[in-house]
Amino acid sequence: MPEYKAPLRDIKFVMNELLNSEQHYASLQNAEDATPDMVDAIVQEGAKFCEQVLSPLNQVGDREGCTWSEDGVKTPTGFKEAYQQYVEGGWPSMTSDTEYGGQGLPSSVGIVMSEMVGTANWSWGMYPGLSHGAMNTLEAHGTEEQKQTYLTKLISGEWTGTMCLTEPHCGSDLGTLRTRAEPNSDGTYSITGTKIFISAGEHDMAENIVHIVLARLPGAPEGTKGISLFIVPKRLPDEDGSAGERNAVSCGSLEHKMGIHGNATCVMNFDGARGWLIGPENRGLNCMFTFMNTARIGTAIQGLGAAELGFQGSLAYAKERLAMRSLSGPKNPDGPADPIIVHPDVRRMLLTQKAVAEGARAMIYLAAQQSDIVVRGKTEEERQAADAMLGFLTPIAKAFLTEIGYESANLGMQVFGGHGFISEWGMEQNVRDARIGTIYEGTTGIQALDLLGRKVLMSQGEALKQFTKVVHVFCKENADNEQLREFIEPLQTLNREWGEITMKLGMTAMQNREEVGAAAVDYLMYSGYAVFAYLWARSAKVALDAMVEGTSEEAFYDAKIQTARFYFKRMLPRTRTHVETMFAGADTLLGLPEEHFAF
Amino acid sequence: MADYKAPLQEIRFVMNEVFDAPALWASMPRLAERVDPDTADAIIEEAGKVTTNVLAPLNREGDEQGCKWDNGNVTTPDGFREAYQTIVEGGWNGLGGNPEFDGMGMPKTLVVQFEEMMQAANMALGLAPMLTAGACLALDAHGSQELKQKYLPNLYSGVWSGSMDLTEPHCGTDLGIMRTKAVPQEDGSYSLSGTKIFITWGEHDMAENIIHFVLAKLPDAPKGPKGISLFLVPKFLVNDDGSLGERNAFSCGSIEKKMGIKGSATCVMNFDGARGWLVGEENKGLAAMFTMMNYERLGVGIQGLGAAEASLQSAREYAFERLQSRAPTGPQNPDKAADPLIVHPDVRRMILTMKAYVEGGRAFSTYCGQWLDIAKFTDDDSHRKQAEGMVALLTPVAKAFLTDRGLDVCVIGQQVFGGHGYIREWGQEQLVRDARICQIYEGANGIQALDLMGRKVVGSQGALFELFAEDMSAFIEKEQGNPALKPFLEPLAASLERLSDVTEHVLEQAQTDPNAPGAASVDYTDLFGLTALAYMWAKIVVAAAPKAENDTSGFYTGKLKTARFYYDRLLPKTVSLAEGIRSGSESLMRHAANEF
Repeated sequence: MPEYKAPLRDIKFVMNELLNSEQHYASLQNAEDATPDMVDAIVQEGAKFCEQVLSPLNQVGDREGCTWSEDGVKTPTGFKEAYQQYVEGGWPSMTSDTEYGGQGLPSSVGIVMSEMVGTANWSWGMYPGLSHGAMNTLEAHGTEEQKQTYLTKLISGEWTGTMCLTEPHCGSDLGTLRTRAEPNSDGTYSITGTKIFISAGEHDMAENIVHIVLARLPGAPEGTKGISLFIVPKRLPDEDGSAGERNAVSCGSLEHKMGIHGNATCVMNFDGARGWLIGPENRGLNCMFTFMNTARIGTAIQGLGAAELGFQGSLAYAKERLAMRSLSGPKNPDGPADPIIVHPDVRRMLLTQKAVAEGARAMIYLAAQQSDIVVRGKTEEERQAADAMLGFLTPIAKAFLTEIGYESANLGMQVFGGHGFISEWGMEQNVRDARIGTIYEGTTGIQALDLLGRKVLMSQGEALKQFTKVVHVFCKENADNEQLREFIEPLQTLNREWGEITMKLGMTAMQNREEVGAAAVDYLMYSGYAVFAYLWARSAKVALDAMVEGTSEEAFYDAKIQTARFYFKRMLPRTRTHVETMFAGADTLLGLPEEHFAF
Repeated sequence: MADYKAPLQEIRFVMNEVFDAPALWASMPRLAERVDPDTADAIIEEAGKVTTNVLAPLNREGDEQGCKWDNGNVTTPDGFREAYQTIVEGGWNGLGGNPEFDGMGMPKTLVVQFEEMMQAANMALGLAPMLTAGACLALDAHGSQELKQKYLPNLYSGVWSGSMDLTEPHCGTDLGIMRTKAVPQEDGSYSLSGTKIFITWGEHDMAENIIHFVLAKLPDAPKGPKGISLFLVPKFLVNDDGSLGERNAFSCGSIEKKMGIKGSATCVMNFDGARGWLVGEENKGLAAMFTMMNYERLGVGIQGLGAAEASLQSAREYAFERLQSRAPTGPQNPDKAADPLIVHPDVRRMILTMKAYVEGGRAFSTYCGQWLDIAKFTDDDSHRKQAEGMVALLTPVAKAFLTDRGLDVCVIGQQVFGGHGYIREWGQEQLVRDARICQIYEGANGIQALDLMGRKVVGSQGALFELFAEDMSAFIEKEQGNPALKPFLEPLAASLERLSDVTEHVLEQAQTDPNAPGAASVDYTDLFGLTALAYMWAKIVVAAAPKAENDTSGFYTGKLKTARFYYDRLLPKTVSLAEGIRSGSESLMRHAANEF
């Protein structure tokens, strides 16, 4: 099993050098605590916890899985204790409102911790991760009383939270959900129905679990406009706020699944459970959307983590494993063969993972800075601009990163040859765990529709223009830099093309609405590669500047430039295919009558 | 999970209509006497029944139970023994075997169809007949008459199974550095000692005896790949009268816990002075292995194809049943709460991608089978030479491209199911886990790509590639006047030209840069495979078009539409691949080891 080492040097590069976080935090309101020293200390401390406590439990979690009994769900050995340490370390409260016990740090600081937790042990990280959905809901829509009762406990980590959306017959299409909420005379509601795929829905790590449940009120309008949100705690809070008597909600069973075995995926049965309305009636889905972006960035991290973990494991292996000689003559003449890192194709696999992991880190941290500004920007104008930018980046980050993160995990496994298929090496677990990333929190297909349909075309291309303008400015600023030419020129061309294809898609979509769905995934992937091109060009510039100024870390910066070059030469050409296929037209998809798909 | 049903109409279409295999068989006397269309059709029919009714129902339970090891013995999942017995009774192990030793001698164009069905129905179990057939090939080609008489009939019947023992803990790809030793004995046998790992079906309870084909080094053998010999090492020694004697001195030390194909046993085999017999010449063991490689590697490619077909069947059924959201152009299913998934363009993109790769892949595996048949059965020397060249060239493509696309298709098939795709009971995630090994074993796909690019293309100075280009060009030439092909010929010719250009480019680069072939290889294999599939889809159009005119079933019109989809939506990947290849090896080789 690869032992996870937090990539602190690259984390610092992205935060401080690429995204200039010192200046960023100084530009926010209520972010005085986020000084460089403070952030650095937090990251160091977090890295230790992830490396020493969480990483060793990753394989244990996969092997043991969760076990269900009438009394509840037992998590794998060590999970509970690790959570206890996490709570004692104050990690759950890092980015929450100080009024309810939080430490009030900007969410981008939390994202760094989420990356390290998620890479070290994704299954474990989902337990505290899911609490964030519940916290966000309460923060944005809860009454003061609800906040005092539930939010404080979630922030302290004493309780965890879940989001209960999916039902057996509906996942993407929540408009058809059936769980009912009947008003009681005391102002509470009685919730009845079955929810499936509820991650962390039941476990033994915390004394209470706060479910945020989507359900329908009697007489609610059909479809998505008749859904309301309810708080349904596993144990009802006593007068003094502690977890009291058991509510009528229970875990009916656990799913047997491909990966993330350490996390409990629950069928939750609500049998007249007591719940409290949160937010206005029938506005549940809108309320959810207020923090959907944050949640989806959280899932995007899985793509980053899968690439990073696979990269770390396969890099170590590629340096150790001896097989065959280099094509240009022996590199390890004293040994029976050369280490496999000498072979061009092994390098292709390693560099793809490296380009994905580091590019993903840059993309996620960039999005996280936008979410900081949405909350703490000094002017309304700044906040709105950041919100639009975040809305644009979110579906790209979620879908693109989980797709190429999965690809990377597979490459990491491939480097190991036959050993990659064997459980003890941990690489196949990484693939199995990563596979869920492109499915939950809105599949890739759904994200693509969100990006092209809702974000880009519905804003008449504004959402895209905001981003391409940033790229354009960057290109212009560096137009005269000879050494950057190999990056700036293709980036500029790509940036222009991005606008053109968007306009063209908008036109075809006006003729035929099916064209949006037919082009969406290609458009999303294209956009992902384009954002990466911008971030890699910028990384190359930062590295080049550092080398010009003089540095003791020549190798580090040189590697940045080399990897940027690899990205531009070897990965960016993928955009050629996406351009061509996104304009292949909906006919090629819709021409075949349904009854002719199979014989 | 949809129950796998052998797609007999599809298989017959490819074998009989696209490739007109019966005409091929009739054209070669040595085949003509053995197989006719009726026999072949009866075999296809029966294969469909066995795989659909016997093998497929055990697939999921095999995954859940896995094999169990106890003190050297391996117990297979419930039902596997009985199913294997059915395979033995049907003589399926020997379908392509040498008739002189009780094989059935059927052509590969037919055998590949059976293999696809078997691998689609149950890959874990299907590995046993597959490896046995591979072992038989090596023995038949290189064993002494005595060894063949003693072992082949029981291997063909399946009463005994075969196993290939190559990999050791420190070496897989690089067999030249292996350590297992074979010491000659006075009676002409050898004493083998060493440890082999990843030995599929190395030990089990389905057959009476297991015949291991073990690579080992003789004392004082030359270093490297030229010092390896091949030995036959039976689990139970075989007496002169053919009965089983004492247990040989080797055993299964443990079985691996792995990602997929859990119904099969992946064994660590410990040889402690086990008795073995030399197959072929001393120090020519690797060469002996290579004779079966072409068949074996195509066989693994077919595993990818089979898994993809199984995934397609389930995903297609689910896309028609699952109701979710409305079509963008308004409700198609107004009486229900939502429309079936298949109305959504992106779901169609996923299903059609699966369909285009599976059906194109089936044609490609049959195409490879055709060249193997010609190579083996023709009496015309120049035709045989051409066929041998084609087989050499196409084999790594079949192995790597079909298994890469096989995994892709299975992952898409899982994606169509949404969250349910991640849950075991639906079966889609098992197919992903099972198919994943195909990219690794029998030479990882990176190795296949090097074989194609380095050994075959660059090694022959492009001569082998020319064989393929000529075959495609001849087709394009011949079909110029075919109106049905009008929309396809131009892009087909363009993609051949792209592949030819890139081939030339790499040949040129290779003269000055030894890393050039390795840097291009994987992208090149993809490019080759995509171009070959475009060729296959054009062949499918030729066969389907005349029947499409009055086709009310949709079978033939569907073929034309899927061809269109392939050309518009999948073939364009070649553009990106060509660009990546042209960037050369520099962007890969410049990182120093500490710069990763």
